[in-house]
Amino acid sequence: MSSNLINNYISKSQITQQQTSVKPKPDFNIQNELNNRTFIKPLKGKGKLLSGNILYAPIDTFRDVKYSMKALSHAAKGKANDHELGKLNDLGMMTGGLAIASYLFTKKTTPLTKGMEFVGLGSFFASMAIWPKIAIQLPAYLLHGVDVQKQYQDSFGRRKPFYQDPQFIPWDLYKDEEIQKIGDRMGVPKDIPNRRDFIQEKMRKLAVQNNTLWMLTAGFATPIMSALICNQAEPYLLKYQNNQKNKKADQILTNLENYSKKYQTNPVEKSLTEIIKKHSNQPINQELIDKITDVFTTDIDPVTSENFKKDLLGLLSNDRYSINDTTAKNITANLHKQFADKGFSKEFLQAVIPDETAMIQFMKDRGFSGNNYLKVDHTEISNTIVDEIINRAHIFNQAHPDDAEDLGYIRELISANKTEEHPIAKSLKEVRASVLDETAQGKLKKLAGILDNFRAKNLSLDEYALTKVGSAPETVIANYWNNVSQELMKSIGFTSKEIEKVRFNRTLMGELLRGKLEQIVSDKSAYDRVMGILVEKVASLNTQIKPSDIASHMLTDTGSQTIYEEKVHTIFEEFAKKLREQGFTRTANSIIGNGNNDNGSYIRIQKAYVEDRLLGVKSSFNRLINTLDLYRRAATNPNALTHINPEMTLVREVKEELIELCKIIMLEGHSSDHATKFWMLRNPNPALDTSPLEVEGGKIKNKYLGNAAGTTDISTDKYFYQNAMKFLFGDEIHPDTKAILEKNVSIRDEFTRYRQLIMEKLGGEKYFAKPRHLVSGKNHTGSDIKFLLTGIAPDEFFFKAGQQAFNTKKWLKMFGGFGAGLLGTTVLIQFFLGKLKSPRQVKND
Amino acid sequence: MILAVNNHNNIIKFSAGDKNKKSLEYNHDTLLDNNFATRTKIGIDKLTNALTVYPAKGFKGSKNANFYEFLTMGTVPYIIGSITMMSVFNSANKHFAPFAKTKASAIGKKMALGVLFYGLLKNASKSLVTKPVKMMTGIDTERPYAKVIYELPDDINDTDITSIEHHKVFESVEFPRWDLLYGNEEKGEKRNYRYDKIAKKLGMGENLNDSDQEVKPRIKEIVIKTNLAKNISSYLWAATGVGIAFQKPWENFFNVMTFKFWKGKEFKKSMQSFGHNFIESIKEFWKGEGKGITKHTGKALAGAAALSTITGVINAVSPKSTNTKNVINKNERYVVD
Repeated sequence: MSSNLINNYISKSQITQQQTSVKPKPDFNIQNELNNRTFIKPLKGKGKLLSGNILYAPIDTFRDVKYSMKALSHAAKGKANDHELGKLNDLGMMTGGLAIASYLFTKKTTPLTKGMEFVGLGSFFASMAIWPKIAIQLPAYLLHGVDVQKQYQDSFGRRKPFYQDPQFIPWDLYKDEEIQKIGDRMGVPKDIPNRRDFIQEKMRKLAVQNNTLWMLTAGFATPIMSALICNQAEPYLLKYQNNQKNKKADQILTNLENYSKKYQTNPVEKSLTEIIKKHSNQPINQELIDKITDVFTTDIDPVTSENFKKDLLGLLSNDRYSINDTTAKNITANLHKQFADKGFSKEFLQAVIPDETAMIQFMKDRGFSGNNYLKVDHTEISNTIVDEIINRAHIFNQAHPDDAEDLGYIRELISANKTEEHPIAKSLKEVRASVLDETAQGKLKKLAGILDNFRAKNLSLDEYALTKVGSAPETVIANYWNNVSQELMKSIGFTSKEIEKVRFNRTLMGELLRGKLEQIVSDKSAYDRVMGILVEKVASLNTQIKPSDIASHMLTDTGSQTIYEEKVHTIFEEFAKKLREQGFTRTANSIIGNGNNDNGSYIRIQKAYVEDRLLGVKSSFNRLINTLDLYRRAATNPNALTHINPEMTLVREVKEELIELCKIIMLEGHSSDHATKFWMLRNPNPALDTSPLEVEGGKIKNKYLGNAAGTTDISTDKYFYQNAMKFLFGDEIHPDTKAILEKNVSIRDEFTRYRQLIMEKLGGEKYFAKPRHLVSGKNHTGSDIKFLLTGIAPDEFFFKAGQQAFNTKKWLKMFGGFGAGLLGTTVLIQFFLGKLKSPRQVKND
Repeated sequence: MILAVNNHNNIIKFSAGDKNKKSLEYNHDTLLDNNFATRTKIGIDKLTNALTVYPAKGFKGSKNANFYEFLTMGTVPYIIGSITMMSVFNSANKHFAPFAKTKASAIGKKMALGVLFYGLLKNASKSLVTKPVKMMTGIDTERPYAKVIYELPDDINDTDITSIEHHKVFESVEFPRWDLLYGNEEKGEKRNYRYDKIAKKLGMGENLNDSDQEVKPRIKEIVIKTNLAKNISSYLWAATGVGIAFQKPWENFFNVMTFKFWKGKEFKKSMQSFGHNFIESIKEFWKGEGKGITKHTGKALAGAAALSTITGVINAVSPKSTNTKNVINKNERYVVD
């Protein structure tokens, strides 16, 4: 058996003769020694353990920032210590993170994606801090009673992890009773030798193990936690931003005059000043006219721009054109172009067409150069030049009788052209006699002021319209659409598995949706619940976008103009009035229309944009209400199906076909299906069975449908079309639907109007192949309105919503599952940590 | 716990010792050359240990586990975190519908490239500070050395109690390893030859009696300032890397990207595309898009990174102005703690 070194030492030292201590020097003077500081002791340590109370977190953060700033200052002067330099790494990481978030913020286009860059940064740093707390520190404390992430403050006030370096742990900061208490909690036997040392060793071991666990798990945990935090935070940020955006938009409309100051940057005036600086007192030619027009019409529609150009021409012109040396040169060039490739010899052309010098001289000799002429004078000038050419040709012919040319042909070659192509006339009207003098400049400046003012107000109106109903991500209406579609997915009861199966195929989604709807409509309580939610969601749009502010007049009866329209009218009419005062009548007409007709005008575009957007969205939701109602009617009382011609009796097979068609049209139909008056493979010789239809579980029990051979689309059966339209949009809605809609009168009225509009406008569309398939006469509404009224097909609506829901859920399932698994494993591992064999108990002999 | 070492027939192998040169390359703390080969060797050694030996020691709660091992293990979350982050943005995309998949993949791949560029530029950019400082002052703030560690035996059968750690001479500014910079007089080196060189470079004169004592405060100051510049600028360069990764031209590269190096032609095309789009992305990053501040954010970010590097280097090589007259205020009472 071996003995250890200490025992050997003890046994040896026992036999060693004890040495007597050296006697103090006789002249030893304690006061003298103290004065000479021989016995000076080290300063008492000021280190302490930190409690880590979460309530002090803000103070700690502030202290950390202050410390980092101090460290930065010290380091810049070359005086920092190791601890301070370590802190600077954190500062660098934060600076880099902020730089990334800020850069990506500018790259993103929507407020949500911009905001999420900073949420991402915050969540990443938060995850780095939270993971060791919830997965390491807390479980270790709960299981073993040891805070493995304990912090302490050293004598210099520096905060450090207690177990940072396992070889140098400042155990003296723990009081004995504290260590003993932890030992009790860890189940360390009370009567072992050197109990404190044993507990400390156990704590150290646990801390080392946990630090290792932290290092191995943090790489997985931090990005996943961060992504999960972002995923969960995104809807809240979106909701917050949507509310803010909506409020801001409302304020734009209320304080439009003030808000427009934001856009009062006077770009037209600034650009005009540049042009005036460059072209002051210069002739106004076509190039200058184009330049000025471009400046004035940058943000204006092409029709108005064209009219503006014409008005501008009138404003700046005095109907006279200048003739100078350039005109003469251009005429020579144009004549050469005109005679080229016509078979004339080189000699002939040289002799007949005066060269540039000759032409300049000719124009001077005749007194044309340097003068201004009206358009009517151009014919005379042109004729003089032509005569000169003919004269030269005549001389050439005389000199070269073998190569003589036809003089009549030569005259025709020039004079037969229209003004725009005429080689002489078009050059004569190139340079206008008018110049950009002070009068013209004054007029233009006044006009620029008018336009800048209108532009600022118009941009404010645009901002309002785009924020509310713009066809872009994260507008109020887009957020509403996404929110409602996800809510409806839930209320209709799509499961994740079902969505996963059908997500790539719209037809499969259509089938799934049909099954769901048929199930819902077969049960009154389910129907009331889903229809209730649907109507409630549809109604919620009116709280976000008030019909008194903007509305689609086709659907919503506001009684008068909306506030948006009032503002549009005030601004546009004021603009038009001022333009008229400046003589810009054509432009004014293209802005507000002529008389009571504003079709095709700028004001019409401004108003129609919001109306059309609302019409499309509202029609889509009204279609959903109608679809659900139709399925309910078909499920509860299909035999109540009325028809256009009461004298005709519908046989069962036709009824089956009719209801099937209606169900398909409501679920999948597009405006093109309405345009072609529906197309269905039917039995041309239906069975003469008039027995009633039967329903089971919301579905029609079809006896004949799909059984007949030789089915075809019967294009001559106008009644079938009319009956279908009547059943779809004309018949009374189901009493259950009516009861729900009665609770919300505005939606009820919109829905009623929607059905009427479909009957009238889509039902009145004439299709050349089925000319008699009309509900009640022809209707000439444009295809855009028909498209908007049709709205999105429900199967497409849920197909898109399903894909969106699937993407989010799939991601969440993958990484949420992994994150939960990681957390579970990390906590589970803690059960196996901190094991240390207890030393043998002391035997009391 | 103290083990009965005397009863173990003295077979404990201090393998770093001269007699038992078993496996370790060094038998005492040794200054290493700061060259590519050494850096690569150290990098591989630390990474291997961080993934194998240190976690094993850590999980056992080894009594020899120390701060160096903990710090070295800090590489693990960086590597795993980078891979996880790439995965977070890409793994689920294959389940999405085609259009969403295309859109998500383009963003996901840019994210992954951003993670890669972050790491590359963060590490590579440190040289932009340390190399000029070395050239101008002669101080290699990154100089590595091998440290021989004598550990406690884990149990009575543990006979191999030595290991090597790779540190840097100036990793602690409070306790730099000045001793390693002295020359070995047995090998005919002048004791202060390294300090002499630095003194000369710093313009403090030649043939100084105690060049080491003269330059040590300056070295310390330069090391601190260099560390500051390195820390701040490396993160800004890393951010610049992320910015470059988020440019549109990369989408062209993603279309032809392949890692199948055994398919020579395709791989070559992929690499050529990488080079071409890398240049295009840098141009686009610098040029910017949109208007106003947005257009110039790329320039601002790269400019901030470059500025932090340049000012950091200038600050590091510029001596701090000291008023020697007032170093010690005789009216003050001083206590050495």
